[in-house]
Amino acid sequence: MDTRTAITELIHRSGLIMDRCDFKGYLDLCAPEYQYRITTYSPEIRKDMTWLEHDKAGMKSLFDNLHRHNSDKSPISRHINVCLVDIDDAAEEAEVTSTIQVFRTTLDGGETELFAVGKLYDKVAFGQGGPALRSRNVRLDTRLLGYGYHIPF
Amino acid sequence: MSRNAVEWKQTPSFPESHYVDTRIYTEEDIFLDEQRKIFNKCWIIACHESEIPNAYDYRTFSHPGGPPLIVIRGEDMQVRTFYNICPHRGNTLLYEPVGNAKRITCIFHAWSFNATGDCIDISRGKEGYQDRFGCKDAGLREVKTELGFGGFVWVNVDDDSCTLKEYIGEAMGMLDEHLNEPLEVFHYHKAIVNTNYKLWHDTNSEFYHDYMHYFNRITGMIQPGYFDRKYTGYPNGHASVGSMAIKYDAYEGSKARGVGWPGLAPGGWVLIDIFPGMTYNLRTSVLRMDTAIPLGPNKLLIEFRGLGLKRDTPEERAERIRDHNMIWGPFGRNLHEDLLGVHGQGLAMRERTDSKWVIHGREENMTIHDEGGMRHFYAEWSRRMGRKAYDPYGEQAAVAK
Repeated sequence: MDTRTAITELIHRSGLIMDRCDFKGYLDLCAPEYQYRITTYSPEIRKDMTWLEHDKAGMKSLFDNLHRHNSDKSPISRHINVCLVDIDDAAEEAEVTSTIQVFRTTLDGGETELFAVGKLYDKVAFGQGGPALRSRNVRLDTRLLGYGYHIPF
Repeated sequence: MSRNAVEWKQTPSFPESHYVDTRIYTEEDIFLDEQRKIFNKCWIIACHESEIPNAYDYRTFSHPGGPPLIVIRGEDMQVRTFYNICPHRGNTLLYEPVGNAKRITCIFHAWSFNATGDCIDISRGKEGYQDRFGCKDAGLREVKTELGFGGFVWVNVDDDSCTLKEYIGEAMGMLDEHLNEPLEVFHYHKAIVNTNYKLWHDTNSEFYHDYMHYFNRITGMIQPGYFDRKYTGYPNGHASVGSMAIKYDAYEGSKARGVGWPGLAPGGWVLIDIFPGMTYNLRTSVLRMDTAIPLGPNKLLIEFRGLGLKRDTPEERAERIRDHNMIWGPFGRNLHEDLLGVHGQGLAMRERTDSKWVIHGREENMTIHDEGGMRHFYAEWSRRMGRKAYDPYGEQAAVAK
């Protein structure tokens, strides 16, 4: 598999794994230095906002605590479309830009609604072990998320 | 023992101040009455001064009483508020939530207004209205505006209202010394939930629901001082809750907060509910402000703001933002749970579900799990509405006669 294909598959796999709530599997896709953020821009206060920010240990802690909280149990589905893969061979890194749409499906009846749209800005390290997520910025266009969600996108 | 239909509807065996009829959360006529008698009479927070720092900066606001508003800073740096309605053909004047407008021009027929609400131009005015009508007749409707209590912009659409200071009275006493420095909004988001606005304010007025929050149970409820926190009620329906030291590092993955707040003890937490739907929530390093804006009896828009100190260094600000989002962001540990709670109430109480009563009966010497904060709110609600919260249509009173 060529590097570009492997990177594209990694990004898509990260969404599918999170859809299954396989959090260990998700963390296995991440490099040790992994940084995760959810960001957006508020036209109302004319400021960039960071809504969630964790390193790999912080993400693990977030996942480990989920079962202790009262959460919306509706499954969500992340539809990711990889648009750009800019490979820097010298740095053994790629910058990947994808679009993401998140849908939420009710448990009672299975009605699906669009939950959020945005972009993923990922940095991917590629070494001998294959590509790994080095950082992810989920840049949301959607800011009205109703009662929100406990699980990151 | 479960109850049959008659027993389900029997009046709770509490004093009348300790329960409410759930129709106050669901009925359209009561909601319209609330808009007239409460929201159009009370001081409401429209925005924060840091959102409009420069001359001609404006912010739009959907007032819970109905009128769309423009909050604008004039050349004299004074903040004024006007209806966002063109007096000509009723069009919206400003569409964006925020901007800068030295001249407010309606896109429809190009009537123009300045930042003091004067009409300054009517296109082809003389030709159409001759001397019968002119700019002097076409000013914007101004709304009373005051800045205060942490730099928030408060509005009141009742021209005959008391002053903001009179309205708040002593209710902000616990926060006064902590709000002396200029603040700045760093977080803003909205949520729309199918529930009644009072149910959200109730959630901000009682801590018994900490059982819903794992984070609060671990960092608060099982820690020393939690059950010493007390409610204090104030005139006009406001209430405050005293502080304790939150043990943030008791939650796995969390840590003691490094950035504090001027005058607040480490780990401190003070909460003040302002009638009818605003809450100051100063929790160690961050001030959160909720503004409840009802869109209908069972539809609520909540504006959430997070504030830090204007003088924050970038490092301090980043830490406040992390502290805020850990529990209060849209993906935070607590906010999602609070919103799920009132969403569930909205589901269970909507019209024709046969829900009947909500009980506010806990008495614990006004300490943290006492429901006196809600009782205090509904006493004021009943006074302003001319309806008893436990008997909003006077049926119990009629039977008693």
